[in-house]
Amino acid sequence: MASRPVHFIWMLDCSGSMSVNGKIGQLNFAIREAIPEMQQAADSNPAASLLVRAISFASGASWHVGEPTPVNNFSWEDVHTYGGTDMGAAFKLAAGALQTPPMPQRALPPVLALASDGQPTDDWRAGLRAIDSTPWGKRAVRVAVAIGDDADKSMLKEFLANPELEPLQAKNPRQLAAAIRWMSTAVVKDASTPKVEDAKPATPLGPPLTKVEGEADIW
Amino acid sequence: MTAEQGTDRAGDVRWALLTGGVKGVGKKYSQDCWAAKATADGRAVVLTVADGHGSAAHFRSDLGARWAVEEFTACAEVFAHEAVRVGADAAGWPELRAEARLLPQAVGHRWHRRALFHDSNTPARGAAPAQRAAAHRRARGRGAPDLAAYGSTLLGAVLTEHTLLCWQLGDGDIVLVDDGGEPHTPLSSGPDLGDETDSLCEPEPWRKTRTHWQPITGGPPPAVLLSTDGLSKSFADHQGFLDFATGVRERAAEQGLAAVQGQLADWLARAAKYSGDDTTLVGAFGARRDTSDATGGHEPHE
Repeated sequence: MASRPVHFIWMLDCSGSMSVNGKIGQLNFAIREAIPEMQQAADSNPAASLLVRAISFASGASWHVGEPTPVNNFSWEDVHTYGGTDMGAAFKLAAGALQTPPMPQRALPPVLALASDGQPTDDWRAGLRAIDSTPWGKRAVRVAVAIGDDADKSMLKEFLANPELEPLQAKNPRQLAAAIRWMSTAVVKDASTPKVEDAKPATPLGPPLTKVEGEADIW
Repeated sequence: MTAEQGTDRAGDVRWALLTGGVKGVGKKYSQDCWAAKATADGRAVVLTVADGHGSAAHFRSDLGARWAVEEFTACAEVFAHEAVRVGADAAGWPELRAEARLLPQAVGHRWHRRALFHDSNTPARGAAPAQRAAAHRRARGRGAPDLAAYGSTLLGAVLTEHTLLCWQLGDGDIVLVDDGGEPHTPLSSGPDLGDETDSLCEPEPWRKTRTHWQPITGGPPPAVLLSTDGLSKSFADHQGFLDFATGVRERAAEQGLAAVQGQLADWLARAAKYSGDDTTLVGAFGARRDTSDATGGHEPHE
């Protein structure tokens, strides 16, 4: 007997604009800080074995963590900024990983977690179609955070593939940390709930990222 | 949980029933429900399991599963009497099969009626006028009332000396283990991706119900095992699950059903640790008669 795997894939925008006002540093910090809570969330769901990977995209896309890593062994090496916003390339990388094989047939729906601060500079729709054309991609739980005001929120909404959902919005480091923490944990807790066939993807609703008094929007 | 026996007063087969269910790890209560009973003077057996979906969107699925089992049992008992009456007369089988195909519709209508009645008294989506209006708008958009709160799967079987009928809506497993120990899954729809399932809460669920019929024309009937998906999803692969089903039948033959019944709760609890889900198994084992005169069964049980 064995619990079923949940494949969690971060897709992180490392375009040049992420270096403005320390966004990339805050993103690295938020992911690193979220790991213990991610581990706790995984421990609280013994029916799911959480395996984490990460894609970074800028001018092109590459696996930042290519091996599906058990969350208890997962550690974070910083990502760095390097150019454009080739989100479509990231989607295509993810789509390749969601084919069966390498994905097993016996698994829980994978999680695609996207963080971006700008407009895609390549054919992101082709990448999204590639994800949607895989059996697991169609069933993936999708979450997204728009970092700052320049993020393409309508594109992120299309990525979520559920008209009832909005991407999370982070306009300062505290909000980004809250969004990353929620993305890392809520979807893992939700991983083994049954879905009625033909229903929309049951991505859980995100938390309202409220503003703390005196807190400024810096992005 | 107890092993039960039904007596066939005029027939050749003595039935023994196996039932068990455990709550999923970390869950407050189980949304599975099941029943196993001898009927038609012990000449037939009705088995059924239902798996309420259990997530927040399906917060009344324990009721949905219970109604599924109650309504299936009521319809299946009528069918079982007819199956016993037809017996080995092959001329009556086409009509029997036609009735078998209609049974999911009867169950579906009865289930929907109960869910609608319950929801009209205690609206699942709230009783405030605005909430009711929104629910009605959604229902109109779907072309059917929104009964998602009650969503449940349903598996059932009727077994007589001469015929076996199985029905399946949604996930879960029906395994037949023949006299040679070979397992068959006649209603398997291939590997599930994730946890998607068909459900009684959908419009016209009978259209998605799969049916299997087979005559039993010699030798003992196969062992019939029905289980919710919490069991099969705890195994690393499908073969492991089939080996488990075969093992249950072998142990029942070697050690007696009471011994298997005594261990079943532990086995299911172990499985539930890996699947995280409520885990239920019911089974029927037919043996050519020696002597026995006990009737029994399990009424709907959660």
